[in-house]
Amino acid sequence: MANIDRIKGNKIRRFSIFRIIEHWAVMLTFGVLVVTGLSQKFYSLDVSQWLIFKMGGIDYARLVHRFTGIVFLLITSIHIIIGIIGVAFKKWHPSMIISKKDFTDAIHNIKYYLGIESRPAICDRYNYKQKFEYWGILIGGLLMIVTGIILWFPTFITRFLPGEIIPAAKVMHTNQALVIFLIIAVWHIYNSIFSPDVSPLDTSIFTGYISKERMLTEHPIELARLEGKPLEEIITEHQDIHYENLETS
Amino acid sequence: MTITAGGKIIFILMAFLVTFACFASDAFSGEVQECLRCHAKHGIIKKFENNESIEAYVDAKKFMVSVHNSLACSDCHTDFSTEKHPSRRYRSKKQYIIKSSLVCRRCHLNLKATPIHAKVLSEEEEGKPHPCTNCHGSHSIVHVGKRTFKTEEQHCLKCHAYELSMEFNNGETLSLKIDASLLKASVHRKLSCSDCHFGFSSTRHPQRNFKSLRDFSIANSETCRRCHFDKYTKTMESIHYIKLSQGNLKAPVCTDCHGSHLTLDFGKERTLIAHRCQRCHPRIFDIYAKSVHGKALFDMHNRDVPVCVDCHKAHDIADALALDYREKIPEICSNCHANEAIVSKYGLSTNVVKTYLSDFHGVTLIFYKKQREEFNKPARQIAVCTDCHGSHNIISTRNTDPAVVKANLLKRCQQCHKDATKNFPAAWLSHYEPTLKKAPLVFIVNSIYQIFIPGLLIGLILQIILHIWRYAVNR
Repeated sequence: MANIDRIKGNKIRRFSIFRIIEHWAVMLTFGVLVVTGLSQKFYSLDVSQWLIFKMGGIDYARLVHRFTGIVFLLITSIHIIIGIIGVAFKKWHPSMIISKKDFTDAIHNIKYYLGIESRPAICDRYNYKQKFEYWGILIGGLLMIVTGIILWFPTFITRFLPGEIIPAAKVMHTNQALVIFLIIAVWHIYNSIFSPDVSPLDTSIFTGYISKERMLTEHPIELARLEGKPLEEIITEHQDIHYENLETS
Repeated sequence: MTITAGGKIIFILMAFLVTFACFASDAFSGEVQECLRCHAKHGIIKKFENNESIEAYVDAKKFMVSVHNSLACSDCHTDFSTEKHPSRRYRSKKQYIIKSSLVCRRCHLNLKATPIHAKVLSEEEEGKPHPCTNCHGSHSIVHVGKRTFKTEEQHCLKCHAYELSMEFNNGETLSLKIDASLLKASVHRKLSCSDCHFGFSSTRHPQRNFKSLRDFSIANSETCRRCHFDKYTKTMESIHYIKLSQGNLKAPVCTDCHGSHLTLDFGKERTLIAHRCQRCHPRIFDIYAKSVHGKALFDMHNRDVPVCVDCHKAHDIADALALDYREKIPEICSNCHANEAIVSKYGLSTNVVKTYLSDFHGVTLIFYKKQREEFNKPARQIAVCTDCHGSHNIISTRNTDPAVVKANLLKRCQQCHKDATKNFPAAWLSHYEPTLKKAPLVFIVNSIYQIFIPGLLIGLILQIILHIWRYAVNR
């Protein structure tokens, strides 16, 4: 993965076309699942009822929810299979693997926010925030798929498992939905839209490109690897830009 | 009836006597005085062949004020005079009355001119005698036009206390005899006859024709709405009215449930309500009587349990097989089962309705109901209380073996979930809120999220606030 081809002038290719399409697909299915799902969870709200009636009634809302769930299952399966193939056979850098550094980075950054450290943590391709979000959504998504299937086929499931699995799956499905929704609505939306670092919008997942400037501040380790330079050089380069920015502002 | 020459003579004679009597109103004629010497005293008994008897007593005072006070005894008792006192034999009292009241018609000739008499006479032609004295009395007879009755009821009962009957076009008959004691026991005891029998009064007695007894009852029940208009409009929405308007004349009208002359207050006697419905719905009644509700009603006189009308309503009885009634069932059951004051006495939980409504079936029902009501979208059936518990046949599970209950429940589940197996009913927590004891897995999963979600939210928001704060400080 690490090669000089990805640097195009001041921009760096961050995501392939496949990842861009994948993000769109997840975004759209997630949107549909949230609208059809949360309106069932909070069924007594007027807005939920309005939405469900607009969809043609509860039966249609459930139908749409279930079949969108299948689409989500397919996307997730493809993602996992490709990830495994990539890492195992194509020697991809397993950049999403959580390491000890992620925990120290998190503590470091909190210290930085509180003014104890002078500079933020130096991160690789994905920082700890992004990893947390990725694994949160992936594991949560898998839980949603499993519990969703249990709820869809209760009579089949209870042939093999005790009946209590059904209400337990329901409780998990409904709560996990809220967890995922909160991660996206609070964390993801903040980090990719409202955060001062990227505001008004982090466009990298749509264009596939990220500016070198942001790579310097957010992913210096990956940049060093891409440019084949030592990390220290990258950091000094970053500090220069940083001070320039401070002087001009 | 032809007027004979003899009849004319008698008529003239009588007119003469009436004129004469004006001058001697205080004193009776000699013949009357002669007869009253014996017959004004009690104790003279006339015996008939069937051992019935009659007292040959005449109340002189009543006779003095009667419309016939100027007549002599022999004017009516034609065989008798001061000289002649024949002994006659009669089979029965009835025969005597019929025979002796025939004499009235010697003077009162044009009877068919009044509708009531025309009716009576037409029955007589068919062999049903109507002795005049039955209605008008004998010695104490008073002029109808001048007669004052204290109440209208007394006026009507003057005839309707006797075996009158009415015949319908299809040959059915109805006894028009009214038992005054029933009227006194009725909630309508303060009403007078014409309040209900609209169009009838002491001066008006219209002649009506009905195809059948049922037609007559249906038409007559229309009178109830003149006072009970609210109830009447409610019945217009009822399944009974719909059936009636579709031509099913067996469908009940007001009087079929409430009675007519004996209208009772149902409120005090709840078993009576169930028995009224039993008349047409005997099989359902039998099932209900064996249910937990029915047993409590009949065996323990429990006033908390529902009778028919509590679920089906009394006047606006909905079609119990219709979807909109079905959708109301949880609401109907919740009238009692969500009412702490009623069910707590029996150790029942008020959670039953809440737990149903918040689960899959309940939520679906809420949506189906709204969809149908607001958007007129057809809805499917979804399990309501009665699908698992039964309706008229609800029994208590308290003294039943849990294994039997479970097996029964599976059968109920299978009505909709065809391929359900023995584990399936446990998917429903039987109206229990999940606890460590009742549903540990559900309880634990839920508890974890109860802690996890707020923790996660607080953590994420703190991170965001710190991030923004750092950014602001750096600038």
